[in-house]
Amino acid sequence: MPPPLMPNFNNSVKLKYVKLGYQYLINHFLTFTLLPITLTLLLQLRYSPDEYLRLWNSLRFDFVHVLCSAFLIIMISTTYFTSKSHSVYLVNYACFKPPRACRAPFSTFMEHSKLILNSEPKSVDFQMKILERSGLGEETCLPIAIHFIPPSPTLEASGGEAELVIFSAMDSLFEKTGIKPNDVHILIVNCSLFSPTPSLSAMVINKYKMRGNVKSYNLSGMGCSAGLISIDLARDLLQVHKNSNAIVVSTEIITPNYYQGKERSMLVPNCLFRMGGAAVLLSNRRTFRTQAKYRLLHVVRTQKGADDKAFRCVYEEEDREGKVGISLSKDLMAIAGVALKSNITTLGPLVLPTSEQLLFLISLISRKIFNPKGKPYIPDFKQAFEHFCIHAGGRAVIDELQKNLQLSAEHVEASRMTLHRFGNTSSSSLWYELSYIEAKGRMKRGDRVWQIAFGSGFKCNSAVWKCMSSVETMGNNGPWDDCIDRYPVYIPEVVKL
Amino acid sequence: MDSLIIVVLVLPVAYSLFQLCKLIQQRRIQCCYIMHYECFKPSNDRKLTTEFSGDIIMRNKNLGNEQYKFLLRAIVNSGLGEETYGPRNIITGREESPTIADGISEMDEFFISTLDNLFHKSGVSPREIDILVVNVSMLASVPSLTSRIVNHYKMREDIKAFNLSGMGCSASIISIDIVQNIFKSCKNSFAIVLTSESIAPNWYTGSEKSMILTNCLFRSGGCSILLTNNKAMKKRSAFSLKCLIRTHLGAMDEAHSCCKQQEDDHGHLGFFLSKSLTKSASKAFAENLRDLAPRVLPLRELVRYILLNSVTNFVQRYSKVSKKVSLNFKTGVDHFCLHPGGTAVIDGIRKSLELSEKDVEPSRMTLHRFGNTSASSLWYVLGYMEAKNRLKKGDRVLMIGFGSGFKCNSCLWEVLRDLGGGNVWGDSIGNYPPKTLVNPFLEKFGWVYEDN
Repeated sequence: MPPPLMPNFNNSVKLKYVKLGYQYLINHFLTFTLLPITLTLLLQLRYSPDEYLRLWNSLRFDFVHVLCSAFLIIMISTTYFTSKSHSVYLVNYACFKPPRACRAPFSTFMEHSKLILNSEPKSVDFQMKILERSGLGEETCLPIAIHFIPPSPTLEASGGEAELVIFSAMDSLFEKTGIKPNDVHILIVNCSLFSPTPSLSAMVINKYKMRGNVKSYNLSGMGCSAGLISIDLARDLLQVHKNSNAIVVSTEIITPNYYQGKERSMLVPNCLFRMGGAAVLLSNRRTFRTQAKYRLLHVVRTQKGADDKAFRCVYEEEDREGKVGISLSKDLMAIAGVALKSNITTLGPLVLPTSEQLLFLISLISRKIFNPKGKPYIPDFKQAFEHFCIHAGGRAVIDELQKNLQLSAEHVEASRMTLHRFGNTSSSSLWYELSYIEAKGRMKRGDRVWQIAFGSGFKCNSAVWKCMSSVETMGNNGPWDDCIDRYPVYIPEVVKL
Repeated sequence: MDSLIIVVLVLPVAYSLFQLCKLIQQRRIQCCYIMHYECFKPSNDRKLTTEFSGDIIMRNKNLGNEQYKFLLRAIVNSGLGEETYGPRNIITGREESPTIADGISEMDEFFISTLDNLFHKSGVSPREIDILVVNVSMLASVPSLTSRIVNHYKMREDIKAFNLSGMGCSASIISIDIVQNIFKSCKNSFAIVLTSESIAPNWYTGSEKSMILTNCLFRSGGCSILLTNNKAMKKRSAFSLKCLIRTHLGAMDEAHSCCKQQEDDHGHLGFFLSKSLTKSASKAFAENLRDLAPRVLPLRELVRYILLNSVTNFVQRYSKVSKKVSLNFKTGVDHFCLHPGGTAVIDGIRKSLELSEKDVEPSRMTLHRFGNTSASSLWYVLGYMEAKNRLKKGDRVLMIGFGSGFKCNSCLWEVLRDLGGGNVWGDSIGNYPPKTLVNPFLEKFGWVYEDN
């Protein structure tokens, strides 16, 4: 019996080198064309030193000439410098580390479920099935008011959770960056489902005694992608206000939104959402240039609300008994895919190298002319980014994105591990993921990070950051400090409870 | 030697040229125009008369006789008229158990009516809108109100939407602040600001005295505003933004806790107003004016103030005459749009700015006709001035709003063309100002003043 044919490695290796060669050629096209031309020109213009001296002496310096040329140079440089957008630096950020007392391991969660939903065993089973496949670990945390049986979501308890999460994150941020609360010019707080009066931003200003002309904004209702919307707003504001510091606080307050009914589509958020928060310091001051960790390159926002199905896929409503909860529709994944495609269509030309864009263009033309049913070419985003932070919305979201963007397991590791350790912390999950990548020592200077988040409405927002200085792993004082050695963890498809 | 002289002469010229170019660049991106604004007038079946308000209060089983009298006194003295509007669930008797649908339908009714009118009158299509800012203080829904509007009007995918909440009665000026800042980065864009308040789910059903006043003052209303920074639209625009000042007194504990949302001892959710509200408001107002005065008043007024102040201080050292010198804001401002938070607020501002009764008439009439519609009330006041044909080209209008936190925000608008004509005030403008603002039910409810 002849030995089984070995797969033909030669061809695939040759293909790899062809691809590399093509990329190198296209991305450095200008160098390859201009270099020979410049060299030949230089060879032609070989003058002797005497000739250069004669050239210099023949120039005349007339006062009018000098004035005109100086005026021209100044006008051009002023126009250039004032129309250039200010760089926005991420100086540092801090994530909230929930206290151990708030842990909600599977056993606690299921026991609570059984006690609260004792009349509906089917709903309890449904919750267990969701939890088994969720990708969450045993160390995720729920706020104290939810640990009560039955949960007691009073306004005071919600305020207490908000104070705990936001103030710890901000204390940590002030400590890490060394700035004083008085030095903050812009404050943006985003929390989707809890919006008391006075606002959370006023609460922060009161606690830290910030200055009287601080520009504060309190965004709410904008879902899990609200963190990137706040970053977008901060960036626009920092273009207008020079030499300013902006703090963005992203969180989600779970206490008032725990669903206490039995409708199945509304029980899913209970299993996924956990306590978390992050505070980020952005600045456009030049003094922070050496100290800053990242520089913001792009923010792209996509709003798919015009489509009715997309609008209704994450919806807050009352169930038949009048209990308030958030219902997730069954076509959530499909809608997320469409929103993602729109977003990367805008983002692609901004970040992809020329080689990928050319390939995409060629495939588009060939599909239009030759083969309309051909598969669209998905540009290789691994060429544009070194790290990916995908919002840890749930296991299905991460799987879907990994498949669509053809990412490897290492690329989505940060998202999966964040989902395991902290759960879905809504708008702040992107910062936990970034913290994971830093804690693992993978962040090097010059690396580009792509943060992508989805939210109700339906929105898909991306932000692109560039690392300015290699981040040290020790003494980072992040939320992963005590457990990074245990990660990555293998998460089975189904955890048997 | 020659070259040295040339260099010495060129440097200052070069520097001044640099500053000139920078100034020109700054001026080019400064504009923010209001093309049109549309205030919301709810349908007639939502009117709340004093008598009806009395009936609603009587329905609350938690109130004792004392609180009942207190409330009726408050309603009679509130300055509200007989034509203010309330939300549907309160009128149909369901104020104790509002559903999410009540809150959302209240907002839907508001924005569909005003935005349809706005798009129709301005000729701008929803797909041309680049920025959308919604501020409703006491409602946070998923998906946000901005998403609802994008869905209803099928707006573009790359729209910049922001949903502010919790920011109190001065939030419309904060929304204008966001739009103004984003305009500096985005050229030739259109923005819509929607400002309103959610009354339906926030009716207080308890009996705490400090929390029950809000039931008497807040009424339904809202406003949609279309803004642009396209210079070509200047001819079609009504107002141009001159300056905007924000002051936040949250650092002071007393100011921060003077109006906040909380649960009372029995767990009823309501809005607590403390007795130090007026003190915090005046402090915030003073600080805001301090930043506002140099940008709004002409130079001679500032010089006069400084000179007079120093002279008075000098004189005061030798004689006991104490005369207060104050800035005359009427030199830089032609019309005042004051937040109609209540008769006390209007009287307070009137006294501190030394305004005449005619200056505060628009605010008083708005309070009478529409009640305190929270963040959108400033736009009803502006509408009153427009309906009375008082706004002429070149006039300057000062808007002042107060909000929880404690904030005081103000902004100055310049009128770009003579304004007038029909708006939300419609036909009832002929009835204003009325001969008397005294509540017609004073005799009927006069017994509330007797102590028994």
